[in-house]
Amino acid sequence: MATTNDDLARLLARVALRDRAAFEQVYRATCAHLLGVAFRILNQRERAEEVLQEAFMNVWHSAAGFNAAVATPMTWLINIVRNRAIDALRSGKTERGSTVALDDDAMNIAADEAQQPQQLLDESLARLKIDGCMAGLGASQRQAIALAYYRGMVHTEIAAALGAPLGTVKAWVRRGLDKLKSCLEAAGMSAA
Amino acid sequence: MNYLHPERLDLLAREYALGTLNGGARRRFERVLRQSPAATLAVGVWMDRLAQLAGSVPAMQPRDAVWQGLEQRLFAGTADASSTAAAKPSPWRWLAEIFSGRTLGSALAGVLLCVLVLRLQPGLIGMEPERDALPASYVGLLVDAAGKPTVLASSRRHGRQLTVKLLQPVAIPAGAVAQLWALPKDGSAPFPVGVVPGQGSAQVALADSSEKLFFNVTRLAVSLEAAPAKAGDKPSGDFVLSGHCVKLW
Repeated sequence: MATTNDDLARLLARVALRDRAAFEQVYRATCAHLLGVAFRILNQRERAEEVLQEAFMNVWHSAAGFNAAVATPMTWLINIVRNRAIDALRSGKTERGSTVALDDDAMNIAADEAQQPQQLLDESLARLKIDGCMAGLGASQRQAIALAYYRGMVHTEIAAALGAPLGTVKAWVRRGLDKLKSCLEAAGMSAA
Repeated sequence: MNYLHPERLDLLAREYALGTLNGGARRRFERVLRQSPAATLAVGVWMDRLAQLAGSVPAMQPRDAVWQGLEQRLFAGTADASSTAAAKPSPWRWLAEIFSGRTLGSALAGVLLCVLVLRLQPGLIGMEPERDALPASYVGLLVDAAGKPTVLASSRRHGRQLTVKLLQPVAIPAGAVAQLWALPKDGSAPFPVGVVPGQGSAQVALADSSEKLFFNVTRLAVSLEAAPAKAGDKPSGDFVLSGHCVKLW
């Protein structure tokens, strides 16, 4: 990303001063990535774009609440978008995989569907150079994490998707997160 | 249920950050989050970890209508609500307008002095209890060179928000931010608190509770920085505003 976290922190501070140009720069620099995050969860471009818009209204109104000493700007933004998307997903229960309007996006969506959450997780782990460390986890444990993070699924949905008992899925998620934490720490990338 | 037991808190924080905490449990934990710095920090740590997994998500360009709708919803009614980038004024023009009639340089020249204020308007620091007494809070008043009160900062003793009110506008040059620092009583290095606006008021999220941050702090000050300071940063230049920080109880 051309705009660094330092740039974004500076811009968000300007947004808190009601600087509309800075707001637009934050939007332009991050909207494509953030829409991708929302789209993974909602699987519908229109709903994802609505969520993105609402999230940025939130950014405009609460930029003063951003504190560079607490979180990086991208973490803060991703968090706003994911929470909004998860709320939208759960309030709209859930038309995932059902009809999609046959516009230009239908093709893209079909292609994206092939890119499973598991693959996204594997790519991220490789990029973070913790794929070796995370290989200590079973495939199901990694898949459970991937479905929760990229699809916003809850335990019961993961259990249904993977055909596993609920208690087992909860344990998978817990172990998966434990492992993620220790692998990130071992790689010196822990936030804490 | 004691949400703040460290192990239980970590389990809740990670499930909340991941999104697997659902329904009533999610709402209840959000209420805890609003009140507990420890919970906010625990969630923040997990969000940082999980945010690293977002790197592989394919970017997807929103349609132009998203930005246009955003401008409409946020800025409709203002003059250039639907303006395009080409028609957009310079980012700093509004600043220049605020300070029309004086130059940025003279507005900032030779600022420094301090005054102590113990009296402030009820309501400035949030909801008032029915009785008249002000709640236990930390209060700072920062003044400029002429001794004119400029920034009022206040935070409830156990709160995690600092309310900042500008009593007169502060000139913040293009490319700079006004960084608020806390100066400990023992003379150790100032630490960053947050960024303050050039006018109006703002809520600044604190890294910890006021009590933890300000217990040993006797002064607050503002410097102009190129970017918001992170933990461990030091002021790069002179303070343009400063004043005492006092306990209101």
